[in-house]
Amino acid sequence: MKKFICGILAISSIALLLSGCSAKPDAPASSDAATEARDFGEGMVFKHGFDLDYPPYSHLDDNGEVGGFDVELAQAVCDYYGWKYEAVPFNWDAKDAELNAGSCDCIWSGFTRNGREDDYCWSIDYSDNTQMILVPADSDIKTLADLSGKVVGVQTATSAYDLLQDEEGQKPLCDTFASLEVFETYTIAFTALKSGAIDAIAIDVTTGQFLMNGEEGYAFLDEVLGSEQYAIGFRKGDTELRDKVNEALTALVEDGTYAEIGEKYPDIKDFLCLKPSSEQ
Amino acid sequence: MTFSTMLLTMGEGMLLTILLFALTLIGSMPLGMVVMFMEKSRIKPIAWLTKVYIAIMRGTPLMLQLLVWRFGPYYLFGISIGSAKLPALLIGFILNYAAYFAEIYRSGMDSMPVGQYEAAGILGYTKIQTFFKIILPQVIKRVLPSVTNEVITLVKDTSLASVLAYAEVFSIAKQISASQTSFIPFVIAGVFYFVANFIVAFIMERIEKSMQYYK
Repeated sequence: MKKFICGILAISSIALLLSGCSAKPDAPASSDAATEARDFGEGMVFKHGFDLDYPPYSHLDDNGEVGGFDVELAQAVCDYYGWKYEAVPFNWDAKDAELNAGSCDCIWSGFTRNGREDDYCWSIDYSDNTQMILVPADSDIKTLADLSGKVVGVQTATSAYDLLQDEEGQKPLCDTFASLEVFETYTIAFTALKSGAIDAIAIDVTTGQFLMNGEEGYAFLDEVLGSEQYAIGFRKGDTELRDKVNEALTALVEDGTYAEIGEKYPDIKDFLCLKPSSEQ
Repeated sequence: MTFSTMLLTMGEGMLLTILLFALTLIGSMPLGMVVMFMEKSRIKPIAWLTKVYIAIMRGTPLMLQLLVWRFGPYYLFGISIGSAKLPALLIGFILNYAAYFAEIYRSGMDSMPVGQYEAAGILGYTKIQTFFKIILPQVIKRVLPSVTNEVITLVKDTSLASVLAYAEVFSIAKQISASQTSFIPFVIAGVFYFVANFIVAFIMERIEKSMQYYK
């Protein structure tokens, strides 16, 4: 009897927990958490949410400080309005919870817009990105078709991974692989490639170039796996803040700040897609 | 990044790891005692609820519990949360470890023969005196090896805090590893955990020895 009652109690408390959780996502309330009336004047705190594992967009720099292209650009946006910049590093897997719960104002960390159009309130695209296949230069893999029967590595929860799992994307190609190995980070995947445990890596071109810095004997295939755009994701309905940031971005492109920050990151500067109106 | 910058950056992470470890221990060891008494309570609903609590704490991953404590207030009640991560981490770690400690303490308590209680009663000890003067000192002695195990596990479990991007040593190791495309940070983290646990084991062994006053 005792055990029976314990069981009932346990099950009902779990059910309570679950029902509480499932009641959430569709609620429009999700946007009011931190979107109440704000003045966008000087001194407003801008909470920049990003993943510190994503060089060169957001990472720990050589001095052990928070840095990267996105961080510097966000700081420039804050300087433009006189906002107070607050860095909110998060775990990539928990990004939506962080955004919805209001611990940050946006996800701005090499964040792919394509395929997520309806899930966030998007800024203008500020960077292009391409997914490529990274192989040892002496590999017999020369085209995407050669990947048939090979072991390919990818980092979990990245756009390259999503692309390989998407029926309308490269899932058909992925099905020809001997297997797709999903790694925690690309650093580990690259080590696996070096040691011969895998034959190729599916990766964003910018991240791939970053990995190949100072490494001899690795190259991208000429064929492109997919392409996409990076933008800043705000909470749905938070158009006010989005418009403000868009305005600042446009101004920073015009006055050259955007290109200036880009110069510091040679791996990605060719992919920065915003141009001042004089060059268009 | 130079090696010394790397060590320095990771050093900050080590301090945060030690902080989380120490606060969890300070919170959960006494709380475990309370939980153990609630579990042995003669008021049945309290005992049952405590059993349910222990079942949930031990039966679900700590990582998941941390996410619930951090984001639960928002998802359940729509309360906007701040960027302070330590409160959620401490609640999660302390409640989880208290459940384990409670079971360890209970194993010690249950191993005490009934005869000792009876003898103490005859000698005129009150219940409280019996517990603090006779039972507890023996229980502590008996549970120490299991407690050492649990404390060592806690040192390593602090790395789970990376799920909330708490900048403890393992999160930082991952971040530096990504930005420097190097495995060295993981080696440093490994050495740190090993040394920390070596110290824990050493201290616990000293305490155990100091309690062997009958040998």
